[in-house]
Amino acid sequence: MALLSIRELHKSYGGAPVLSGVSLDLRAGEVHALMGENGAGKSTLIRILAGVTVADRVEARLDGASLGLGTPAEADRAGFRFVHQELNIVPALSVAENIFLGHPMPRRFGAAVDWKRLNARAAEALARFGVRHIDPRAKAGRLGVGDRMLIRLASMLVGGASPARLFVLDEPTAALTHAESDRLFRVIDELARGGAAILYVSHRIDEVMALASRVTVLRDGKVALSAPTAETSRAALIRAMTGREIAEGHPPRLATPRPSVVCRLEDLSSGRLSGLRFDLRAGEVLGVVGLDNAGQSDLLRLLLGEGAPAGGRAEVAGRSLPRSPAEAWRRGIAYVPRERRKEGLMSGRTITANTVLPHLSRLSRHGLARPRREAAEARRVAERLRLRFQHLSQPVRTLSGGNQQKVVLGRATLATPRLLLLEEPTRGVDVGARQDIYAALRGLAAEGCAIVLASTDLPEVLGLADRILILRDGRQAAIVGAAGLDPSSLLALIYGDEEPVPAS
Amino acid sequence: MTLLRRYATLIGFAAILLFFAISLPDTFLTSQNLINISQQVSMLAVVAFAMTVVMAMGDFDLSVGSMASLSGVVAATLFVAGWSVPAGIAAALAVGLLGGLFNGLLVAGLGILPFVATLGTLTMFSGIAFTISDGRTIFGRDIPEGFGTFARDALELGSLRIPSLTLVALAVLAVVWFVLEHTSYGRRLYAIGGNMEAARLAGVNVRRLRASAFAITGLGAAGAGLMVASRVASANPTQGAGLMLDAIAAVFLGMTMSEEAEPRVLATLVGVLILAVLDNGLTQLAVDSYVREILVGGIILAAVASARIGLGRG
Ligand SMILES: Nc1ncnc2c1ncn2[C@@H]1O[C@H](COP(=O)(O)OP(=O)(O)OP(=O)(O)O)[C@@H](O)[C@H]1O
Ligand SMILES: [Mg+2]
Repeated sequence: MALLSIRELHKSYGGAPVLSGVSLDLRAGEVHALMGENGAGKSTLIRILAGVTVADRVEARLDGASLGLGTPAEADRAGFRFVHQELNIVPALSVAENIFLGHPMPRRFGAAVDWKRLNARAAEALARFGVRHIDPRAKAGRLGVGDRMLIRLASMLVGGASPARLFVLDEPTAALTHAESDRLFRVIDELARGGAAILYVSHRIDEVMALASRVTVLRDGKVALSAPTAETSRAALIRAMTGREIAEGHPPRLATPRPSVVCRLEDLSSGRLSGLRFDLRAGEVLGVVGLDNAGQSDLLRLLLGEGAPAGGRAEVAGRSLPRSPAEAWRRGIAYVPRERRKEGLMSGRTITANTVLPHLSRLSRHGLARPRREAAEARRVAERLRLRFQHLSQPVRTLSGGNQQKVVLGRATLATPRLLLLEEPTRGVDVGARQDIYAALRGLAAEGCAIVLASTDLPEVLGLADRILILRDGRQAAIVGAAGLDPSSLLALIYGDEEPVPAS
Repeated sequence: MTLLRRYATLIGFAAILLFFAISLPDTFLTSQNLINISQQVSMLAVVAFAMTVVMAMGDFDLSVGSMASLSGVVAATLFVAGWSVPAGIAAALAVGLLGGLFNGLLVAGLGILPFVATLGTLTMFSGIAFTISDGRTIFGRDIPEGFGTFARDALELGSLRIPSLTLVALAVLAVVWFVLEHTSYGRRLYAIGGNMEAARLAGVNVRRLRASAFAITGLGAAGAGLMVASRVASANPTQGAGLMLDAIAAVFLGMTMSEEAEPRVLATLVGVLILAVLDNGLTQLAVDSYVREILVGGIILAAVASARIGLGRG
């Protein structure tokens, strides 16, 4: 018998159905993957299980007994634990406090918080993910996305009103490194073997195939496929998700890079960066890789006009480095930041407002805004990226995670930039949309745009980049040609196990 | 639910109007009384419209009240020194612009929280006003004829007399509405309010915009101060003091009408009118002024609370 069984789940937003008659059975001891395109309704389903969002109609049974899905407290009592896609941590609180947020904290004499025990138990929960580099007493606001995700994962493991029976994870690996992901999979395995049910959302098919024993695919608000993973295949999953055949892979280069140099660094150092030395030509894609936080963000931010060079020379688009992001955008340098919610989006503002923001000067006349032109431009990029939305004046907060990412990308590619700086551009984006984005980037390169692509998705870097810059502790360790490399040899270079062959 | 959330404030406004129309059948809904209300509220309206500019960026300006007092005192002092009316007005407005710019530099340049920075300048501006005026009220023959009569002038439209202060408020409303809703500048201010870091990384010159928006608010506050001084044909260093809290309250009331709680200047206008109508009606009903304050505070809380009901679930 299923631990939790959901029948006839219906939910619509403002008349637009998101889930129409979804069924789902979760069994104890089983990892169940939930897949579907961006906007298919995965996170909505999860928010309904958590009692954060109220379904229009649903029949839920826990151990065969009827269960009301009304409030977060009820979900907690039923033993459900969640790691939501967009839930943020409280920046002002410590790591340990965040881990225990919403759970009873260890106390002394029944009143005062027992800080020692709190920190110890938080450290313990983190240690299960192999995490030792996060101090439980540190302010959570100072941590990057990856570490924040680890905090939320740890939080899932600590107490709760009743013993945990179901763990629900919404795209946890989107922000994690390979090593962290591997450890997460081990923990998930342990939890399942301990008798818990797991509901796991991811766009990464390999992950799902390796981890889950069952998979359910949502499309157009309905269950398009539900089967044991052993009885399905990568192609079948893609077909179920998209309803069409998708040729996976990376589109071929459309043109060779042109001779004109867009960006030239000569032994540049700044902050923790040093020894940067490369030419980037128009139409060329430079991949930037390294271990977690090896200076990828710093390099892109430097090119965006943040931070002053301490030594060496730099030339960007025929001039010195821009002195501010405002100047950078004016000079045709566009940027997709790493953390879309914190650094990318004005979540309460409309799709149009978010998309056209850096282009307002060009879209206005003598400072006078032209709403129709703005909407037309926003619509154009939305359609090119197959954004799933109801209307352009809806706040981006109401878009699904992957669709929010597309808005950030659409903003940077609305006009062809001279230099495009990308950090994790396809984070949380589905298989089909990924192909659209790769094609769009190829198109930009063919038009002469130089691209710097920092990504932890090594196949993505290998498929798109002409050359790859490897950073180690802020230092340029090597720059290699992408041709002939495979993910494992690139990984070896990142770890520094192997001497690189210099790029031609 | 959403509808209730969005329109609760408007419905409340309608209910207040209805209440006064019934309890004051002969005096409330007359054109004369409505025109009076518009004049009484014109100064608060100007401050609230100006406040909307900084609040669009998610900032505050607590110094608007003391800036209003300061500008009145500056103008009156210059009149005493023999300056002409236009020169005195221009100088007072310049003080507003510079004072606002000073706020902006503290906030945007030095990164001081707006609450703290403008709390500091609130005290400073007020101190300067006291120093300039010696703590006295400047009035009588020291105030030029033309300055005092401006507030009593009106535009005759058939049998209607639209007071000049009302016209000034309407003009300020038109300008602020135009800037916030129809220019790239306004769009960038709202982007800063939406997420300052994201706006900066998307090429918005956050520092310059924040500084300039505070300057605009300072200018508006100075303008309101001149309106107050003209209306009472005198200036003293405390006469603008009451404006700040009411202006912020009006913007908040307006924000309850927006789904995303964004300050919009037309919504601010509704907020201003609610405060004005309450004040006028309760005065006519001879309700004690302390009771009035309790009621106004309660209504603001009720509006904000009703706007929050159901938020975040859906
Ligand atoms: N508050 C809301 N108001 C209106 N529409 C909403 C709201 N929340 C979600 N939606 C819509 O519901 C649909 C499903 O969104 P959901 O976040 O569940 O997608 P998802 O499957 O998790 O996608 P992703 O893979 O991108 O995270 C989307 O089209 C989204 O725009
Ligand atoms: Mg989602």
